[in-house]
Amino acid sequence: MFGRSPYGDTEGLADIGFVAQDTPLYRDFTASELVVAGGKLNKRWDAALTRTRLAQLGIPPDRPVGKLSGGQRAQVALALALAKQPRLLLLDEPVASLDPLARREFLQSLMGSVAESGTTVLLSSHLLADLERVCDYLIVLNASQVQLTGAVDDLVAEHRQLVGPRHDGGAIGGVAAVVRASHTDRQSTLLVRTDGPVTDPAWTVRDVSLEDVVLAYLADGTTQTSHSEWGVAA
Amino acid sequence: MIWLTWRQHRKQAFYTLLALAALAALLVPIGLSMRHTFSDLELGDCARQLADTNVAAATREACDAGYRRFGNQYSSLNLVAVLLITLPVLVGLFWGAPLVAREVEHGTHRFVWTQGVGRTRWALVKFGLVGAAVVVLAAVYGLGMSWWVDPLTQAAYEGRLGMIVFDLQGIAPIGYTLFAVALGVFAGTMWKRMLPAMGITLAGFIGVRAAVEILARPHYQPARTQTFPIEGDGPPEISRGDWILTQGVRNPDGTMIAEDTRIQCPPGGKGPDGRVCGSELGLEPGAYNWQLYQPADRFWLFQGIETAIFVALAVLLLYLAVRRVRRIA
Repeated sequence: MFGRSPYGDTEGLADIGFVAQDTPLYRDFTASELVVAGGKLNKRWDAALTRTRLAQLGIPPDRPVGKLSGGQRAQVALALALAKQPRLLLLDEPVASLDPLARREFLQSLMGSVAESGTTVLLSSHLLADLERVCDYLIVLNASQVQLTGAVDDLVAEHRQLVGPRHDGGAIGGVAAVVRASHTDRQSTLLVRTDGPVTDPAWTVRDVSLEDVVLAYLADGTTQTSHSEWGVAA
Repeated sequence: MIWLTWRQHRKQAFYTLLALAALAALLVPIGLSMRHTFSDLELGDCARQLADTNVAAATREACDAGYRRFGNQYSSLNLVAVLLITLPVLVGLFWGAPLVAREVEHGTHRFVWTQGVGRTRWALVKFGLVGAAVVVLAAVYGLGMSWWVDPLTQAAYEGRLGMIVFDLQGIAPIGYTLFAVALGVFAGTMWKRMLPAMGITLAGFIGVRAAVEILARPHYQPARTQTFPIEGDGPPEISRGDWILTQGVRNPDGTMIAEDTRIQCPPGGKGPDGRVCGSELGLEPGAYNWQLYQPADRFWLFQGIETAIFVALAVLLLYLAVRRVRRIA
């Protein structure tokens, strides 16, 4: 991490902001007390900016954060992580438990503040539409195996859906690899990675969304079965 | 970090002080009334006078009678004393066990351990502050109990070294309380849930305390033996304040005839059937009362040893707890 080992390195903690899943905070602390606590626990701490940020979001300063809504609490946790002015911000499914509106507001304030500071953000999420909106680079994991990695724009640009006559596995001009194929009697639908324009008139070429690409790669990964644990026939 | 510790635990500290104040409000009037009765019965000087072996028989009788009257009035308070020795483990349960376990249970360890201070310093400051507060609390409790229980122990024959009164007063409660808290903290780092940690703390505390009390404490110093003749007039000679480990009646060759008892006969006393006193038990001429005991003046030495054992255990447990904290994911 920034050229240092992250193990047992307290100095390195100053460069990382972390928001854990479900955004744990001391529930009996008020938001304003949490800002004070952060100031006592960190050498680098921008309390003024954090107060401004929380004020803009309409967070009440003197209510225990346990009594705030999930979205507000997530905003407080994010503001506290940003107050450290970290070089790397780690977010572990920060929006998983939020409603769509709170999710959008959270991501908006994340994007806004990160754009100002130039912080690197590493964010995990199951919500692919959100990822497409906020992320530059994507790594898809399935059962802790990397399935796909690349810049989001490139991933969307180099994948295509092809619909055409039933395909028997032969090479198609401009297609580097078939990621996923589904067939009916007379027709095949392929999600492919291209390395050039597909010019074969037999195929109808469609653009894909990031979600299509990610789902195709995830479905491709083998799912571990647990038939023996359940005592049922495979 | 100090601010955070105070902010997190101030409510708990407030309730602890409130409980202590309530306890004092209950016990101080009882203590005052005990002392009042004690001086009314003119028992204040008895301990010093009875320590003199040549004490006048009249003084001795007066003192014993006074002690008996005092005992009749207040001996039920010994039951209260039994309840009071549970206080250290309560501190361990409610201050020690949740210290780490609560953070992990609520997930807040992921918040606080990713701030700039790092978890080792977090653990040291937190354990240090709570430990210091607990020492002050236990010292107040121990000294207060010494004051409170003093008339009761003077009136009882076994004195301050006796099983329950020893545990209640002096500096030993500091050791017990620190140990209970350290055990709670350590259990919290091992099981990471408050309820299991509290359960383990309770069981562990009782186990270790009982083991030390029964197996180790009688052997802190080599016990002494003392013998008393069987024949004698006047009240039986007793060793006030000593902690008697075993006693019995032995024949001149040393064989134990009757355990856990003492015999006294008037000189030349005969049983109803005309035989020599005690001969129905198998006593031979020259038999004597025998006891194995720890003398009363070893009280502070024993307190010191007992406290040192529990403080050492507490330090060990806290060291292990700090090591565990560094590994919790």
